[in-house]
Amino acid sequence: MKILVIGSGPIVIGQAAEFDYAGTQACKSLKEEGHEVVLINSNPATIMTDPGVADALYIEPLNVDFCERVIARERPDALLPTLGGQTGLNLATQLSDQGILEKYDVKLLGTPLTAIRKAEDREQFRALMREIKEPVPESWIVETPEQLEELLDIVPYPCIIRPAYTLGGTGGGIANTREELLEIGNIGLKLSLRSQIMVERSLLGWKEIEYEVMRDSKGNCITVCNMENFDPMGVHTGDSIVVAPSQTLSDLEYHMMRTASLKIINALGIEGGCNVQMALNPDGFDYYIIEVNPRVSRSSALASKATGYPIARVAAKIAVGLTLDEIENQVTKTTKACFEPALDYCVVKIPRWPFDKFATGDRTLFTQMKATGEVMAIDRSFEAALMKAVRGLEVKQRDLWHEKFVGQPDQELRAAIKQPTDERLWAIAEGLRRGFSVDEVHKLCRVDRWFLRKMAAMVANPFEPVASPVYKMVDTCAGEFESRTPYYYATQEAFGDA
Amino acid sequence: MKPTVLVLGSGPIRIGQGIEFDYSCVHCIWALQALGYRAIIINNNPETVSTDFDTGDGLYFEPVTLPDVLAVVRHEKPIGVVCQFGGQTAINLADGLEAAGVKVLGTSPSAIAMAEDREQFEALLESLGISRPKGRAVRSLEEAVSVAAEVGYPVLVRPSFVLGGRAMEIVHDEAHLRSFYGEAESANPGQPVLVDKYLMGIEAEVDVISDGEATLVPGIMEHIERAGVHSGDSMAVYPPVSLTPEVQRAMVLDACRIARSLGVHGLMNIQFVVAPGPDGALRPYVLEVNPRASRTVPYLSKVTGIPMVDLATRCMMGQTLGELGYEGGLWVLDPKSVREAAKAGPCPPHAGGRIIPESEFIAGVPTFPEPILYAVKAPVFSFQKLARVEPSLGPEMKSTGEILGIDFRYEAALYKALVASGIHFREHGDVVLTVNDADKAKAVEVAREIVAAGIPIIATSGTANALRDAGIRCRDAAKIQEGSPNLLDLIASGEVSLMINTPHVGRQASDESARIRRACIESGVPCVTNIDTAGALARAIRLYADPTATECRRLEEYLQGASA
Repeated sequence: MKILVIGSGPIVIGQAAEFDYAGTQACKSLKEEGHEVVLINSNPATIMTDPGVADALYIEPLNVDFCERVIARERPDALLPTLGGQTGLNLATQLSDQGILEKYDVKLLGTPLTAIRKAEDREQFRALMREIKEPVPESWIVETPEQLEELLDIVPYPCIIRPAYTLGGTGGGIANTREELLEIGNIGLKLSLRSQIMVERSLLGWKEIEYEVMRDSKGNCITVCNMENFDPMGVHTGDSIVVAPSQTLSDLEYHMMRTASLKIINALGIEGGCNVQMALNPDGFDYYIIEVNPRVSRSSALASKATGYPIARVAAKIAVGLTLDEIENQVTKTTKACFEPALDYCVVKIPRWPFDKFATGDRTLFTQMKATGEVMAIDRSFEAALMKAVRGLEVKQRDLWHEKFVGQPDQELRAAIKQPTDERLWAIAEGLRRGFSVDEVHKLCRVDRWFLRKMAAMVANPFEPVASPVYKMVDTCAGEFESRTPYYYATQEAFGDA
Repeated sequence: MKPTVLVLGSGPIRIGQGIEFDYSCVHCIWALQALGYRAIIINNNPETVSTDFDTGDGLYFEPVTLPDVLAVVRHEKPIGVVCQFGGQTAINLADGLEAAGVKVLGTSPSAIAMAEDREQFEALLESLGISRPKGRAVRSLEEAVSVAAEVGYPVLVRPSFVLGGRAMEIVHDEAHLRSFYGEAESANPGQPVLVDKYLMGIEAEVDVISDGEATLVPGIMEHIERAGVHSGDSMAVYPPVSLTPEVQRAMVLDACRIARSLGVHGLMNIQFVVAPGPDGALRPYVLEVNPRASRTVPYLSKVTGIPMVDLATRCMMGQTLGELGYEGGLWVLDPKSVREAAKAGPCPPHAGGRIIPESEFIAGVPTFPEPILYAVKAPVFSFQKLARVEPSLGPEMKSTGEILGIDFRYEAALYKALVASGIHFREHGDVVLTVNDADKAKAVEVAREIVAAGIPIIATSGTANALRDAGIRCRDAAKIQEGSPNLLDLIASGEVSLMINTPHVGRQASDESARIRRACIESGVPCVTNIDTAGALARAIRLYADPTATECRRLEEYLQGASA
């Protein structure tokens, strides 16, 4: 087959190098199966736009016009839409909607567009979740002050107000009472360019958990891994410190959400990879489905590197008809892609923000992602991985000590612990160092006490990275099977794998 | 057992150090593998190809800091470490590695220090007779004031050893210098601050490959925005469209001489500004030299067909350009020429072309062939995601990514670059012009093209007067301070398809134009903040009405030329 792949275009916040990684892997994967790849991408700074990665390379603007011209010239048999981020997916949808795919007889590979729509369209998604009895947070669209009045007695408090079509959440906020909802809601209606706000149940402070799941055309499903956000709900996952695998879930919670993720990927009929984001009540066993990304994503790149399981590569093979039990695990070369990875280490991701450049920029973090990149660290414990990640950020801070917070009065420090910003990790550390109790810090920032206890121990006994670590292997199977991958991380132990 | 080489990655993606460096690291690994080495990498960025487990022969997922790198070195005992492809992150470790007794491959740490240390570098340029803007490295405000007085305002003030132009500013008078100095000083404490004469002119840059003796210039890139805009935020065009053969000759010769005297083994980037010399003739002045792979390497590699990182890696490991079938000089695309020696070698060019040898440049001004294609790189910004960030362009880099527009005609390449970077007109609506006094003459030219393309213009009073004086019709719009309805209302009404707004000097005016630019960003109206970018847009504007006048071809077809 001749297969068209649409890249993700330029690097912008929210759509970065992960799609070069995914796209390059997918092109290689498709060529391995004997297919011919046609690629369109406007970003020259990528490996995927190198001579030889695709069979035919178009460095042209990513819009419907140019895509159609490429299709008309190359006459591909099929289009694989789920590798180029939101840009690639949107273009594929437009090409389909405008009848261009039909006109040139191009079929779509992988997850069907109907499934993508179900995942991305708010109403369709909610309907599907209701059908399969998975909970979604209640929300209401409001367009007039009268509608807002009617809502006052219906919504659960606290609730979140999000004005539509304003930037960085301008005019949004949290209402704890009817009065606050009335006030913030009316301001939001004024600020929204379309005079529209969404009011939804507040899940602020709940744990944010993600599952990376894969499914093939025969309905085989696996979870690649789960990830837990250190920052609770209320901060974009791209701006959150993320830990893999989850560290604070009970077995029951872990399996409850794993089951839900697999149920969702089956109900949607995904053929490839999918990311499911959930909010979990820290004080009970209830959860809500927040969002589903029916494509490779930043999270899937992180999950791939965290586990050694190449999600994009496997997703491309699934798209051309292979099933999980037929695809080789390239890391072990002794197992198949249907084996769920096992981790015998802890992974910590910390975002890298641009506020060293943009000194006047608004550093507060909410639902609009602001980070340009991220670092990941692997080690045997959360503490060691966190320290390693901080060290690798290439910011002024090399550990959990931040000048700015050291001399800060308690009241200001409490505010810095409460308000998510790029510097909150250090504010929390300073609070713990100063003797704020874990409970007090938890009340302020809602970060799980488990993380806070670890951090409290770390600031009490700071440790230096060792000069002569041993190196352990990332092998996808926690040493259960033979593995030859030369993928290593350093740790302080008696024996290494390398 | 194959000898091991360790390649340092570039860490997390940030403004000023993006995916381009990952591209170079990955190519370096592939080149080392082709040379028979066991190539291993250390990097901690999960988003990249370099940290794919099957890219290198070994992946160490560790921070790119000196202790972590030294630990891997002790464990793996490589024959050497490669520092020149991982951006400033990697090159900054060269000294420490050498001090720890680790072999740094390619350009030596002392040569790197010479290029990056202001005083040593000045002495070098002086000895080579190469011009640069007058200025000095200073360590106090008073010293800065006296240097500025000596070279004359405006001056460019910036910290040393900082990537991406952080805390860099064009300073017009002493008061401004006094208020800004502290910021430049604190951006990199303990290091000197650079104060240089600011030359208003065209900027250009080259990335070159050197084996220590011969130096290959794959191409010269000309910036569209005048000096003062960070090179990472400038649109750049290959090959140059307005540089004279004499100026291009001087750039090639400067590059060859600098590379040879530094003993560059691998890649080096040189930034120039073209301004009149003492004799009144235009000449290049060297702004800065980076003895490492720069962010334009992937772009230039693709549009010239020269496998730059592959060649550079081989030079770093001891091969010469001559052995690889190349030679010192300027590579020019020419579909009819086949460089047999290079084609037969291990890293053949992906395009037809020839090298105008350095000797020809020494002898005189060679004849440059007609360009077969134009490739325009344009920056892409993420201002929509960042509240309260001022979107106008300056010496500090703000873009997060880039795209490439390529075509046989310059206008078509410009059009593609603009469209791909998000400057797309709405189908209906007017273009608003509001520019500062210095830009008014150029704004008239821009407006003429826009009107000729049948698009109505709206302008604020000063700009409108300038346009009417030149006989161009336009509608008036009120400034914010002039009351409602004003520009902000216009933007909100959806009547504006494009905003051309250049920053004004003076507090109130600059606050006002910043508000207008933010309003555009928040309502999705494309906003051009530099008059030269607007000039490029005016040049390409007719293609917006008829995009079919552009080509749509495979990259290799462009490299074969329009007649193929």
